[in-house]
Amino acid sequence: MNIVVAMKQIPDLQQIRIRNRKPILDDVALTFGNIDKNALEAGVQLKEATGSNLIVVSVGTEALEDTIKEALAAGADEAYLVLDDEIGDMESSSSARLIAEAIKKIDDVGIILFGEGSGDNYSGQVGSRVAAILGLPQAGYAKSININGNIATVTRSLEDCEEVLEAELPIVVSVIADINEPRIPSVTQILKAGRKPKEMLELDVTGDSMLETISNLAPEMQRKQIEIETIEKLLKVLENEGLLRR
Amino acid sequence: MESQSNEKFDAIIVGGGLAGLAAAYTMASTGLEVLVLERGDYCGSKNVTGGRLYLNPIRELFPDLWKKAPLERYIAHEEVCIMGKERSLTIRYDGSELNQEPYQSYSILRGKFDKWLAKQAERKGAILVTKSRVDDLIIENGKVMGVMAGGDELRANVVIACDGVLSFVAQRAGLRKPAQPKNFAVGFKEIIELDRGVLENRFNLEGDEGAARLFMGDASAGKFGGGFLYTNKESISLGIVVGIDALTEETPEIKAPELLDKFKQRPEILKLIKGGETVEYSAHVIPEGGLKAMGKLYGDGILVAGDAAGFSMNIGVTVRGMEYAMASGYYAAQAVIEAKKQNDFTQTGLATYETLLKNSFVMQDFNSFKESLEVLEYPRLFQHYPELAGNIMKDLYEVPAGPKAKLFPTIKKYMSMREMWSMVQLGRRMMKI
Amino acid sequence: MAAILIYSDKTKLAFELLNAAQLIGKNTDLTIKAVSINNDEQAEELAAKGAETYKIINPELNLADTGAMASALLQTAEKLDADIVLLSSNRRGKELAGRLAQVFKAGCLTDVKSMQTENGRIECVRNVLGGATVAIQEIISDKKVIAISPKAFPAAADEVGGTINEYVVNIIPSGIKLIETRAKAGDSVDIEAAEILVVVGQGVESQESLPAIMEIAKNLGGEVACSKPVATDKKWFGEERILGLSGKICKPDLAIILGVSGQVQFTVGIRDAKTIVSINNDEKAYMNQMADYVLIADIKEVLPELQKAIG
Ligand SMILES: Cc1cc2nc3c(=O)[nH]c(=O)nc-3n(C[C@H](O)[C@H](O)[C@H](O)COP(=O)(O)OP(=O)(O)OC[C@H]3O[C@@H](n4cnc5c(N)ncnc54)[C@H](O)[C@@H]3O)c2cc1C
Ligand SMILES: Cc1cc2nc3c(=O)[nH]c(=O)nc-3n(C[C@H](O)[C@H](O)[C@H](O)COP(=O)(O)OP(=O)(O)OC[C@H]3O[C@@H](n4cnc5c(N)ncnc54)[C@H](O)[C@@H]3O)c2cc1C
Ligand SMILES: Nc1ncnc2c1ncn2[C@@H]1O[C@H](COP(=O)(O)O)[C@@H](O)[C@H]1O
Repeated sequence: MNIVVAMKQIPDLQQIRIRNRKPILDDVALTFGNIDKNALEAGVQLKEATGSNLIVVSVGTEALEDTIKEALAAGADEAYLVLDDEIGDMESSSSARLIAEAIKKIDDVGIILFGEGSGDNYSGQVGSRVAAILGLPQAGYAKSININGNIATVTRSLEDCEEVLEAELPIVVSVIADINEPRIPSVTQILKAGRKPKEMLELDVTGDSMLETISNLAPEMQRKQIEIETIEKLLKVLENEGLLRR
Repeated sequence: MESQSNEKFDAIIVGGGLAGLAAAYTMASTGLEVLVLERGDYCGSKNVTGGRLYLNPIRELFPDLWKKAPLERYIAHEEVCIMGKERSLTIRYDGSELNQEPYQSYSILRGKFDKWLAKQAERKGAILVTKSRVDDLIIENGKVMGVMAGGDELRANVVIACDGVLSFVAQRAGLRKPAQPKNFAVGFKEIIELDRGVLENRFNLEGDEGAARLFMGDASAGKFGGGFLYTNKESISLGIVVGIDALTEETPEIKAPELLDKFKQRPEILKLIKGGETVEYSAHVIPEGGLKAMGKLYGDGILVAGDAAGFSMNIGVTVRGMEYAMASGYYAAQAVIEAKKQNDFTQTGLATYETLLKNSFVMQDFNSFKESLEVLEYPRLFQHYPELAGNIMKDLYEVPAGPKAKLFPTIKKYMSMREMWSMVQLGRRMMKI
Repeated sequence: MAAILIYSDKTKLAFELLNAAQLIGKNTDLTIKAVSINNDEQAEELAAKGAETYKIINPELNLADTGAMASALLQTAEKLDADIVLLSSNRRGKELAGRLAQVFKAGCLTDVKSMQTENGRIECVRNVLGGATVAIQEIISDKKVIAISPKAFPAAADEVGGTINEYVVNIIPSGIKLIETRAKAGDSVDIEAAEILVVVGQGVESQESLPAIMEIAKNLGGEVACSKPVATDKKWFGEERILGLSGKICKPDLAIILGVSGQVQFTVGIRDAKTIVSINNDEKAYMNQMADYVLIADIKEVLPELQKAIG
């Protein structure tokens, strides 16, 4: 069986700075989103439990050829990559179409894992769209996944309850950060990652644009930033502003 | 989880700073199998420098490197500012040679430069693993055989210690003694972003011209050290360097970060950084430098380069280390390339390193600057003379309500016989630098 | 006439969608239609808000089967000539949004926190880059699916004229079975409703400080919230108290923030508060720049004082 994990390359969010309210992305290192790393770890654990093969699928700019090493070091066996530098900020609909096309090239797919949301866009659409394209059952927001024979059991966490869902493989699952603690690869694993197979897929990346971004700016923050020396003074100020009326 | 790589490298380089990357680039260019282990998130992430790289001495060592290197600005204007407590005297130097290609020196940002240099080394075939810290050396029968990193055993013909000023690797190999705090200075630095236009206006810069400013005296509270400012494309590197000893000998102890804050509040500085945003703050230890601070440079299966070897020169107001780091990395690489030809990685096989260094500007500089530190530790230089210079200037320029005093008596007021004598002595000491 | 369709599994959120749809409807000539699935009560309540409600009752249609749900909504939208579908951006709604958008051939935006309509254009506001920036985006495809964050809009007011129409769809199950539903462990605090929040960050170094903080919050008539590591690493609180990108986004009148550094993933959760107080021993903490009042102090030292004054 093949386990597929979809991971998105994003700029390291900790390194993004804002100037004149605009995000500065040049020179920011690329990595995978944190929750995508949870998805990968979930895949590695399932692979270890079921003796499967783990394939990472990713769509992104050419830098991905480098970034993908992180995933190969952390336990993926091979990578299917769709690289294109022109596409820049790809829309969820296009990413989903390309990911689905890549998955169609893989035989005997048992489970397809996603993060609950990508680190930068966090729209939570791509997994659902891929499930729709492939016509597969899906279970979102998983906090645990078990595979027994050809049945997957997923416990998922909603706002007010947990649901235990079951489906025959293949299934699409998206995970939340709580599902596991991603492992940190060792140097030898990183060295071996360089030699793991990478498949570069030639797919037509042009897609219809469905969205338009009118602006994207850091919110204007106009706080008073008044320094206060003591608790007593602080409480007095808050009192005067009518914030402590109770 | 211990695991062993069945691979054996020609060289493992500990530390992906300038020394390590220069060595990796050089070795990989000739086809050697090189592994660089860097503990930071990426190369340059933790590296601190003032920010001025002198290219002349190393240009020829890496002929293909400079065209596309992310250099910020070439330094076309030099200033030294002698700071008293309330006044200061600035000397500005512009020379046509500063404005002619090939330019002598550039401001750089390590975050960008190191990351780029790492890419170049990788392009040549070096393998770089970041977020990976070397915890120990593998030593068998007195010979260094490789390193331990996060439970992994990694083997190589040679290990090159490029792990910076407090080099744990060189110590572990018995090439250096544990460091004494009194032999070190500390540097604090901020990168302050400014709109490009504002910056060029403020410093009178055209195109890619840049400015370097050094500050003596009150910048380091009259202690051995000083302040520096370099202009980058869209930011300023601003910092101070001060001896650890000088800080701790005062009661209450001087807190170095506060020194930088105070320095920033000086009107001379404030107006230069106004409206800027501090985007990076860093602190770093600086080796005292000089020949005396140098340990052994190589042993069986090991070489030491860059700050790890002590190739850094602290002349108070500024530190020079980057070009020594890159050059020593280069020569270490040459020594390994030579050793591989002879298939001898013992001390004898690696001895070419020392010969190469001795014939290069690196050791020649360190020999000729042997005396510089003692001279510079002369306290009057950082406290007394800055006050003196400021006071003379004040009296020269001041037009009081009453009649202005004659020039000679004004100067005489400050230049007692004792003063003159000590200046002569200082002059003699300075000649040795 | 073309329509806007609204659906949420949660009645409260459906009311908010109704309000959002009315806002769009006001500036366009779209009619509003509400769908309720396997929920008689919700259909009644939506009708009481004046909505033209389409009630689907079919025990074979399982809310957890996102594929079947998307197909049911697709059929309804096509039948009712709706080009725009509004869903709630809770977890169920978000999951559904992507799947529906794909089969509906629609562009889709989720986690929309506000909207403006002008000349028939619907501009949606949402956080991107982990909350570092706020983007204004528009769906330019003919069909649109918009998932709206809970509490982004107030509930619609009661209105007369609502109707309930029973509606039948073909169920195409995708193969998901619901085995069990469990109530979630942990307290059921609603920090989004609180007018005052006292926020615990990692600068609150000892768990022993918590009773005092709880007491202060209670006496202020507020609630205690926390940064993510306080809940997920230290496990001092349940996840329902986390503020931020992966927690809740709150707009209290007053937030007293104790020992939080102010990473953007946290501040998105509180930056809409009216007044922010930051108590932190590091004057350079980014949180302080985001605050109206800043007290540079060690929490261990000022907490007893605070407790004495408010406790
Ligand atoms: C405030 C200040 C101002 C300066 N100004 C100037 C200047 O203007 N011009 C100039 O030429 N020089 C200047 N210098 C000196 C110059 O920065 C250094 O000499 C130079 O950075 C040395 O380079 P390096 O590669 O030897 O060491 P570093 O740049 O320190 O690199 C060492 C690397 O090793 C890594 N490392 C350490 N231990 C391990 C381990 N166990 N495992 C894995 N990796 C490890 C570190 O993360 C680091 O990346 C200044 C220094 C300071 C502090
Ligand atoms: C994809 C992603 C999503 C995330 N989502 C969230 C989210 O939803 N919510 C969230 O909170 N975080 C989130 N994070 C994590 C976030 O980036 C920060 O790591 C986190 O908010 C830090 O929590 P903190 O401020 O409590 O702790 P710290 O960063 O450790 O800060 C502690 C603060 O307390 C101060 N302090 C320490 N001791 C004292 C004392 N004795 N007295 C006074 N002050 C003291 C310190 O100066 C410091 O400012 C997310 C991260 C990622 C990558
Ligand atoms: N370009 C991409 N390549 C691979 N996987 C992706 C890509 N974009 C999104 N994903 C996956 O889809 C999930 C949800 O993404 P999003 O819809 O952008 O929030 C992510 O957590 C990833 O697992």
